[in-house]
Amino acid sequence: MKLFGKLANILGIKKKEVKVLILGLNNSGKSTLVNHLKSEEDKVQTIIPTVGLNIEKFKYHNVQFTAFDMSGHGKYRDLWEHYYRECEGIIFVIDSSDTLRIAVVRDELDTLLQHPDIVTRKIPILFFANKMDLRDSLSTFKIVSILGLERIDDKPWHICASNALTGDGLQEGSEWITQAICELLK
Amino acid sequence: MAFKRDKKEEEEGTGNPFQNLDKTAVLQEARTFNDTPVNPKKCTHILTKILYLINQGEQLGTQEATDAFFAMTKLFQSKDVILRRMVYLGIKELSNIAEDVIIVTSSLTKDMTGKEDLYRAAAIRALCSITDTTMIQAIERYMKQAIVDRNAAVSSAAVVSIFHMTKHSPDLVKRWVNEVQEALNSENVMVQYHALGLLYHIRKSDQLAVTKLVAKLTKMNMKSPYAVCMLIRIVCKLIEDQNSASAGDTSPPWSSSPLFEFLESCLRHKSETVVYEAAHAIVNLRRTSARELAPAVSVLQLFCSSPKPVLRFAAVRTLNKVAISHPSAVIACNLDLENMISDSNRSIATLAITTLLKTGSESSVDRLMKQIATFVSEISDEFKIVVVEAIRSLCLKFPRKHAVLMNFLSAMLRDEGGLEYKASIADTIITIIEENPEAKETGLAHLCEFIEDCEHTSLAVRILHLLGKEGPRAKQPSKYIRFIYNRVILENATVRAAAVTAMAQFGALCPQLLDNVQVLLARCQMDSDDEVRDRATYYHSILASQNKQLVQEYIIEPLTVSIPSLERALHTYNVHPSPTPFDMSSIPLATVVTSDVTEMADRLSGRTPNSIGTGTIETSPAVTRVESYYEKLSAALPEIASLPGALFKSSTPVMLTESETEYVVRCIKHSFPNHLILQLESDQYIERSAAGKCYRSIRDPRRLRATQGDPHSKVGLQ
Repeated sequence: MKLFGKLANILGIKKKEVKVLILGLNNSGKSTLVNHLKSEEDKVQTIIPTVGLNIEKFKYHNVQFTAFDMSGHGKYRDLWEHYYRECEGIIFVIDSSDTLRIAVVRDELDTLLQHPDIVTRKIPILFFANKMDLRDSLSTFKIVSILGLERIDDKPWHICASNALTGDGLQEGSEWITQAICELLK
Repeated sequence: MAFKRDKKEEEEGTGNPFQNLDKTAVLQEARTFNDTPVNPKKCTHILTKILYLINQGEQLGTQEATDAFFAMTKLFQSKDVILRRMVYLGIKELSNIAEDVIIVTSSLTKDMTGKEDLYRAAAIRALCSITDTTMIQAIERYMKQAIVDRNAAVSSAAVVSIFHMTKHSPDLVKRWVNEVQEALNSENVMVQYHALGLLYHIRKSDQLAVTKLVAKLTKMNMKSPYAVCMLIRIVCKLIEDQNSASAGDTSPPWSSSPLFEFLESCLRHKSETVVYEAAHAIVNLRRTSARELAPAVSVLQLFCSSPKPVLRFAAVRTLNKVAISHPSAVIACNLDLENMISDSNRSIATLAITTLLKTGSESSVDRLMKQIATFVSEISDEFKIVVVEAIRSLCLKFPRKHAVLMNFLSAMLRDEGGLEYKASIADTIITIIEENPEAKETGLAHLCEFIEDCEHTSLAVRILHLLGKEGPRAKQPSKYIRFIYNRVILENATVRAAAVTAMAQFGALCPQLLDNVQVLLARCQMDSDDEVRDRATYYHSILASQNKQLVQEYIIEPLTVSIPSLERALHTYNVHPSPTPFDMSSIPLATVVTSDVTEMADRLSGRTPNSIGTGTIETSPAVTRVESYYEKLSAALPEIASLPGALFKSSTPVMLTESETEYVVRCIKHSFPNHLILQLESDQYIERSAAGKCYRSIRDPRRLRATQGDPHSKVGLQ
């Protein structure tokens, strides 16, 4: 069985299933982003603030994603850690137009990276600098420097600007995280 | 023997598969929930185990429950219907124990608005169990939609869940009244019933609103029989309320009211349930006259000959109750009841016979008793009590028949049966003895025989007390002594003590037996139990003193003071010892036990307070609680504590304001020999504002002398 599994893996015919966590402050566009990734028939029209979490499934390049779309509201952020252990990838969504709360983002990110379930693992993290279409949004370079992403040297990470409403930039990000996770699973 | 063992093994084999579950092991297994991909079968099985454990009373710690809960949230990724529904159940069970259960709010709202109908109703129920008052806004919109959903299961689930939520947040549902009202017009029987239940629950404290609701609905012609039944109950409650408000009128004011007309019209409803409910409601109304009863009784009579046992049972059971309050109304049904004596259903037959016993003439008693004897051993205790009750009322009605009935009772007394059953028989015999002097000797003899082999201590004690009271006045008192002393030899300490007291009564009242009793009492002083020895010594020395007055005061006449008050007074005396000896006369006299009489009257008239299915039954606070109001009061105000005379009685708190207003005022009356204290209590519920000044004005029509000094206005801020 194990041999068969390996064989299937090499040939790339095995259907892979991965769990990713979608994190970020409230109103950064997590649920909208997930909604955009879902297949046409599952899409919903209106996105409302998540309370707790939503579990969504979507497929990307033969990989079955199970996304734990967590609520970003201040009082529910403590609940993120319950899901750290089982996830194989993290998508961190940042509202790049919200310059005021970027410091909060940094705080939350630091807490995340220092969590015992995360700190030792080589888990890929994808940053979406969302809402890039807004006029006074920060550039990806700026965000990298403000959040101090250069410090992360033990985990693969990537940042790309995105617009979850139109889907711009999502392609690039999804491509990257699929590859990064497949890389690790091999 | 071998066969037996085989059978036993077989039973074990097919027994409960969850019997030896271990909590820790099961919670360990729950980690499987985190696996990818989810294995629905396995997870469903583990969830079943968790639910089983919780329902068996296993206590989960907060941490354990929270861990299990969060593991369970991961199962939302599976699309398996069975597993998902198990998850809903799990959420409901764990929602009270685990922390942060709101984590699943969005997942559940997604399910309740989703396309899968199998999920929607269950998701609503789970959602409402995790939602508290602070979270209500998050789900408000969805609940509004769900109440008026086209799917009946969804709509019902929403209404019932809201009903449950009113327990912890009573005000929130008022926002949804419009939607619930819309649900009331639903085509579905269940939705309509549930909506009416909820609407009534919201408004039940406001009589005007209830009246309006009823006026509207009685004209509406609702489709659901359940809703109509509910409406009948509401109408009855309303009639009773109006009745008690206008008590004193000679003619029932409601007999021609639209409310009563509605009840009567329900007797012609096409659903049997409704018809029965209406008939039952009419016969249970207070102050009904024969004219109003007649249509209801004739409906019940019709049910008596129905092929459905349920209807026959319901009808005869109701008739049985009515027979006590309105025997003449039931006589019309006697022929149908006669037919039911031989009904194959024992319960129906019993009720039919006892009803006939209540309404029948003296001549038919013998025949009916013979009939009943043929199957009395086959019916359950509960119905045996019904039979005993019937015999009791018969004895009071036809004193000359006591020999037949007493024999029957003593036979029943010898049968197997529970305490309640035996107690009701003993009660009946005691009542007969008290009412009918002719029956005294035989009754006492039966009771003596009964306590020879009585396993219920409380009953034995009661009977011994009765023997002590009645025995000495019998023709031949000496024969009871033997029965009583047998108890001293054979029974437990409580019964022995009661027997000693009973013997002392004989010693005090029958001079010719005094010597013998003294010998027996002297023997009892060797008893192993303190209480028995104490009593024996006490009575022995009083009887030995030959002092008539002592004997009269301390043996024959019982304690006349109120026992709870005495206990409390002694307790305070012990806590704050004073140089003066304890004054017995300061204890209020016990009110002669009239409650038994009224209780019996209530039982005889067969009326139970109308309680609406959804309404809560209000219980009046226990006496001790009321008296404790006084204690608190006298502790706070020394001048009240120093009033002369002992407290006679404190009333239960009377509300002077409507409940549900911003402030409430209660009044408690404390009656003293020369004083009446009105304790006014006021609470107010407006947050962050204290009532500044309180004025009292008491109008006193009879110009009692007011000795009340300065005001003690104390406004509690809640």
